[in-house]
Parts: sequence; structure tokens; C-alpha cells
Amino acid sequence: MDLINIAVIVKLEPDFSEGNVSYNPDGTLNRAETKNILGPHSAIAVNAAFYAKVKHGAKISIATMGPPTAESMLQQAQLMSDADELYLYSDRVFAGADTLATAEVLKSGILKMQEKMDIVFSGHRASDGETGQTGPQTAWKLGMTFLGNVIDYEIDPAKRIVRVKRFVRLQGIYDVVEEMEVPLPVFIAIDPSYKPKFNTVSQRLAYEKYQKEARVRSQNFKQYLKVLNALQIGADPKLIGIAGSPTIVYKVERIPKGKATRQAEVIDGQDKEQIRKVVARIRQSLSTMVIK
Amino acid sequence: MEKYDVSIIGGGSAGLAALKRLSSLGKQAVLLEGGEKIGSKNISGGILYSKKPKKGKAYNVEDIYENFLTDAPYERKITKYILNATSKDKVFSIDLTAAHNYEANFGCSVLMNKLNNWFAQQAEEAAQKQGGGIVSGVHVSAIRWEGEKTIIQTDELEEIEVKAVIAADGVNSEIAYMTGARQKFSPSQIYQGVKVVVKLPEDIMAQRFSIGPDEGAAHLFAGDVTLNHIGGGFLYTNRDTLSVGGVYHLDSLLENPAEPYEIVNALLRNPMISEFIKDEVPLRGEIDKNVAKEEQMRIRFAVTKMIKTWTELRDAYYSKNKREKIIAEGKYSSAEEMESQLSSIRDQMSTKYGIKFGTDYIEEEYSAKLVPDGKRCRMEKPYFKNILFVGDAAGRGVFVGPRIEGLNVGIDDAARAAEAVARTLDRNNFSDDHLGQYYLQSVEQSPYTHDLKSIDKDYLKIFLDAAKDVPKDIISSKYGMVIKMMSSKTLRNFAVGFANILGYEKLLPIIETVDTYVKVPTEIAERLGTSMSSSYTPTIPSIAQRIAKLKYNDDSKSHIKVLKPTSEFMKKMIVLCPTKCYFMEKEGVMIQHEGCIECGTCSEETDWKHPAGEKGINYQYG
Repeated sequence: MDLINIAVIVKLEPDFSEGNVSYNPDGTLNRAETKNILGPHSAIAVNAAFYAKVKHGAKISIATMGPPTAESMLQQAQLMSDADELYLYSDRVFAGADTLATAEVLKSGILKMQEKMDIVFSGHRASDGETGQTGPQTAWKLGMTFLGNVIDYEIDPAKRIVRVKRFVRLQGIYDVVEEMEVPLPVFIAIDPSYKPKFNTVSQRLAYEKYQKEARVRSQNFKQYLKVLNALQIGADPKLIGIAGSPTIVYKVERIPKGKATRQAEVIDGQDKEQIRKVVARIRQSLSTMVIK
Repeated sequence: MEKYDVSIIGGGSAGLAALKRLSSLGKQAVLLEGGEKIGSKNISGGILYSKKPKKGKAYNVEDIYENFLTDAPYERKITKYILNATSKDKVFSIDLTAAHNYEANFGCSVLMNKLNNWFAQQAEEAAQKQGGGIVSGVHVSAIRWEGEKTIIQTDELEEIEVKAVIAADGVNSEIAYMTGARQKFSPSQIYQGVKVVVKLPEDIMAQRFSIGPDEGAAHLFAGDVTLNHIGGGFLYTNRDTLSVGGVYHLDSLLENPAEPYEIVNALLRNPMISEFIKDEVPLRGEIDKNVAKEEQMRIRFAVTKMIKTWTELRDAYYSKNKREKIIAEGKYSSAEEMESQLSSIRDQMSTKYGIKFGTDYIEEEYSAKLVPDGKRCRMEKPYFKNILFVGDAAGRGVFVGPRIEGLNVGIDDAARAAEAVARTLDRNNFSDDHLGQYYLQSVEQSPYTHDLKSIDKDYLKIFLDAAKDVPKDIISSKYGMVIKMMSSKTLRNFAVGFANILGYEKLLPIIETVDTYVKVPTEIAERLGTSMSSSYTPTIPSIAQRIAKLKYNDDSKSHIKVLKPTSEFMKKMIVLCPTKCYFMEKEGVMIQHEGCIECGTCSEETDWKHPAGEKGINYQYG
């Protein structure tokens, strides 16, 4: 039984959580002020890879295209997954890349990795671009079977197959669960609803063991990190950066504010009288509800 | 089905010691803990002792963890042990440090969350080498035997097969109940302990208790501060917190029900304790209601932030270690600079935001636990088939007057259980009672078992000697006999001899009474005590505020079912539940389990289980 090799492609995204995000007066994102983190969908992909590590001791390589500062995000991803290798594809010529040009860089990078990958994971989409294109395009460029919206998966290392459950739309009905058995290698874009389950003692022990290892590794993440430029990954200059990006962003519009149908009232939490009124209102609302 | 050699149920200090010991002996053991992480369900008063008994060997904490004294995050070594008799504002103190030091290598104050986490790190590292480890967030729901096989079922994971089990699941041991190894403890066999953790900066504490940086003080309280219950109060110095609480016989509480938090409040209001716990606290000013709502909000956030900054800097300034660390990191060049920054923040707080500074105390965490009175409830046969019971689960703890030892007893049991299991694994003889009998013999040899069977003459003498300064001129009082006994050397010696002739069974009803725990101390304090006064009135949080401060992983299902909604016992639970989970409805007593801190006070007449894995209370101090 061979070792399972897994690659995860991740993206550095603005931290949209409250208190961390900052906007310019014109409504666009203030990138200088906003902290960047491992994107939430990327984090789910990293979790999915960690599941294979816990269950099968898979080797995990995490790759991203981004500025040199993205290395701290890779450290974060390593802490979550006990990754064995970290790759940062960083080069000025990558600048201005759209999803297709990004996919080209990631493809070249994955092909340069030591092992042939059994599974490549990506997130469902990014929280800043929201196109959901980079994953499928990378799969297409790699010539791998693409499985999107995957909510659960199990690897059979002996038969070298993967069984997946994924959400599909069938005759207009959303979220129908389709089960498939697919020979490796495959490219999986993981669904946001994915949650790894560890339901045996040995898996839970392995989980603890790898978590501990991950804490130690991520402290010294630079030992596991390779920063590569366009030349080193052998990317075709015509297919990367602005040159390789057919997308033209014509215009970005602010999302119009919807009319509020609810009425909010600011309450002073220190004022007992006001709190009493809130409780009375909640009681009133509850009394009209049918509680079974 | 997955197979492991040994399963340890419960990740408290006893369970973890068993894991560490078994792993050190080269055995594979898996520890299953119900809490979200190790330590989240553990509560102790608490002092952890290391003993050197004359009567035999005890396995001490540093025998299990060789690096305990150098590396473990215990709080302070207790170097002063004082018993205080109280009567209203009067206090009479008796120095019991000699009794505390009796047969002891050391006794240190501990907070269980932090300490058990350290134990877990050590134990897990050793266990992983043997293919075992710690699995938390798992609730064991059943154990069954199929021929030779012992199978453990949990709510969360697939079943596992093991050769032996060490049950370290605490005073409310479900393993004991499900196997019938023992009955639930009756109220006469247990104490209810309730504790609050109070914040106090290190240097202020050192000055107030006259202790050095590595020393600590323990104060016990008897007399009227107990609100006439059999038991007593305690106050222990931790590193930068104090543990304040009371431990009372449950039957005494049932006889004369009082809200547990009110008993703690009585302690906090005692002038001696009020003065011990006091600190300087910022008091928010009123925000002008006439300014815009947004501005009010901004001021509130700014005030919160300033108070936080000031408190953090002040805590660091009053702690030698933190001070040195901050200066080494280059954030401040000297202690003087920190001091001037502190006063400048303070000025800003009062001039800009109208924050005043007053005297009060800061309560961090409220908690409760049952404590088994080992001399009344230890399991005569602490095993069932191939399950060995240790510590609280086996009802083992030494509580004799001011001698309060539970953690060290559990650790000693755990080491003995581990040795017994390792030996049985080596011989591969799980037939009959081979394992259980060997463990029983080992436990019987424990000096703690000896202390649970009969009173230690030398200890009693030290205790009585400490009280020799009680003058004879009050021997005409109502409790003259007891006081006379304490003040006369001949009588003291006589009492010691007499104690051993009577034995525990006859002695306990005489010495553990309202007279000895409440009336005599009250009388002594009344006649001999010094009047104390407190410079302020502590603002004591309500029980609702205390519960609101605790962290829970909410469980939608109740882990407790009321069986007898109209019984007298359950009616008393409305008062005795430390978190007020019970209330009266038309049909009888009902439970609202959300605030439950899993102490087990109500367990006698309820279907009581621990919550499912990860659910329920999540203590931060413990």
C-alpha cells in the first residue's frame, strides 16, 4: 500500500471578520489596513486534507500563489494540518493574474512537486473573488477528474479509489446527495458544509498525535517552506500574470443597500430599566409563538 | 473492534497519574475524558500534598512526574497554616503549621485546570510511546463483558475492547453505579464544597499575607461563619488568585438548608476575609444620556478598553516575574517607567471618563464539587471484575479536622492501580479476582487507608498541642470540657489515647458535631478573639451573575432526570443546588439543567449522568 499524496491549494484572503476589515470611503476594500488570513474556504480544504493524514498518514503539501507575506498563512495552514511541505509561488510577473492565470501557476507548481498527487484539494470559492473558478481550472489544466461540492470522502488506499458524497442539482432540486466511486487521482473542491468526523479511538489518538506534531512543525515552518518563482516552477510566461489573464473587470459596483424591514433600537446594557423592557418584549413575542 | 490493553476513565489528577504510571511501565493505555479538554471539569480546594508517612510508602506526585517541583505550574508552597475561630467580627487564630507539615514533604496550592493540563502533557507523551494516549470529549455510557472480552461503549466513538479498566471518574462515578460496584454515596458520607476564585496581584498578596515569592498561606475558618453547619471555610493563596470557599457535610446542610452561595458569601463578608481579598478596582462613571447614542457607545468601549489596559499593566507591575519579562522584552525600560505609565493611564481614566477608584474584590470563578468523606465511605472492595476504582470514585480522601487530603490519595491509588494492572498484564492472568485482589491488598497497605481506618495519634496530639494557648480561665463555659481538654497537657494525652480506644466509628459522632465545628470555636472567638473590622463592604455578585460568568457547552438534552419530584429531598435541592437549577412547579420539583455545574449534590434521588462528551461546564480555573 503506497503512501497517499495530497496537495491543497489555498488562498490568502482579507479577514472579513468584524474589527479586522477596513473599507475606503468609496466602499472598496482598504487592502493596506485589512489583515490577510487563510481564507475560510481554503481552511476547510486544509481540514479535509488533515482527515486523510489522520486516517491514512497521508503526505500533505500546501501551495499558494501570493506575495512573500503569504508565508504566515502557510504557517497557519500547517498548524491546522501538520503539512509536510509548504510551497509559496511568488514572483512579480504573477501580478494581475485572473483565475485562469492563477490556475496555470498552481498547475505548474503541483507538477513540480516531488510526488505525483493522488488528490488535490481546493476550497469551494474565495471569499473576496467568489468566482469558484480557480479550482476547476487547475483541475482541467492538470487533466484530473474534477469533483465539486464534495461534502464527505473516504479513501480506499488498497483499491486506490475514493468514495465521495457531493451536492448536485437534479431536475431543479438543489442539494441532492450524489455518491460516487472514482479511481485516483482526483481533484476535489470541498463544500463549505464538510466536517471531518473521527469516530474511533485510534483516529482520535492519531488526531492528537498529528496536532501535536503540527504545533512543533509550524513553530519552525520555514524548514518546510519552499518559495519558488516563475522560472523555478517552469510556468509558460504567456500563460501567467496579466499576459495570461483574459478576464477584464469592466466595473465594480457597490451592492445597493436593501431596505431594512426590521427596526433596531440601541439599548443601554448597563441600564436595568431598559433591560427589563427588552425582557418584557421578548416575553411578549414568545407568548405569541406556538411552542410544541 | 479496536483493542487496547487498558482504558482509564476520567482525566482528573488520579486518572492522569494512572496513565503516566502505566505508560512508564511500558503498558498501552487509553484515557477517556468527558470534558472538551483535560481539566475542564476538575475542581479542587485545593492543596496537593506530598507525604512521607511513617507507616509505609505513599506514591507522591513527584514519584509519578519526576520534574514536578521544577516544571509543574502549581501555585504556591503553603508555609503557613492557620485555623481561625470566628464569632461575628471576632477572630481567634491558632497556628496549625506544625499539623500541616506533619509527615509532609510539601503541600502546595493548586488550580486544577492549569495543573491537570500539565499532568496531561507529561502523561500523553509517555502514553503515545506505548501506542496509547488521551481522548477527550468522550462519555463512557456502558461497559459489558462478552466471555473474555471487556467492551467499552461511548456516546461518541466506536466500541473498544480492553483487558482492564481503571475507573477514575470522580465522586459521581457512573462506572460504579452502572456496574453496581458501589451505591451512590449518602448525604452522611459526603461534603459539598463551594469555591470562588478571587483575583489579587502577586506582590499585594505577598505583602498582605507576609509571604515570600515562593511561599503561601492557608487559612481555615470555623465558628459562626459556617452558618451553623458542620464543616468549615478555607482561603488559600494561589500565585495571583485566592481560593475561598467552604466544605460542609451534606447531611448537615440537608438538616438546616442554606443556599451554598450564601454560605460562601458569609465567608466573603467576614471582616478578616474581606480584608484579605480586597483590591483597588476602577468604578465606571455614569455616561451622559443626553449625548448621541453612538457617542455613548464609543465612550463605553473606550472605558472598557482603558480598564483592561490598566488592569493588565497593574497585574504585570505587581508581579516580579511578569515585570522582569516585560522589561526584558523591551516594552518598558524599568519598573519606574511602568509605574509612571500606570499613574498616567489612571489620571486619564479619571479626568477623561470620570472613572473612580474604590476598594472591592474581583471574583473570577464560582464552582462546586462533592467531596467523599473517606473515613465514612471508602469502598471496602475498590474493584469490580477487572475494573479498579481510584480516588474520589472509590470514595477515598482523608478528612480529619483540619487535615484535608484528596488529591494525593487519588494519585497514590492511581499508582497502585497502575502497578496492579501492569503486573496482571505481564502474567496475563485475568482470571477470577486476581487483579482486584492484588489491588485491594496494595490499597490496604497504603498509609492513607490506615488513616481512614483509625485516627493518627501523633497528628491528633500536634493538633491538640497547637490549641494549648487557649487560657484556662474560660473552662467554666458551657463547652468547658472540650476547651479544658485542649488546654491541659494531661488531658490532651488522655484524649489521644482515648481516641484510639474508641475508634472512628464511635469517635466521629462525638467529634464531628455542631459543638466542635461551630459552638466551641464561636465560644473561643467570643471570649478570646480580636475584633476586626473591614474598611469596605464587598460587592458580592448574585448567583445569576456568577453563573453568567461561567463557560458552558450547551447541551440540549438534560443529563439529569428528576425521579421523585415531590420528595422532601428534592424540595431541599431547590435551596441546596449551588447553581439554583431546581424550582417548584405545580407538579413538583423541576430542573433547568443549563446552569448545572455537575457537582452531584442532587444525585441521590435523580437519574444522574455526566453530560455527553464536550458538553456542560468548562471551568477556566478549577
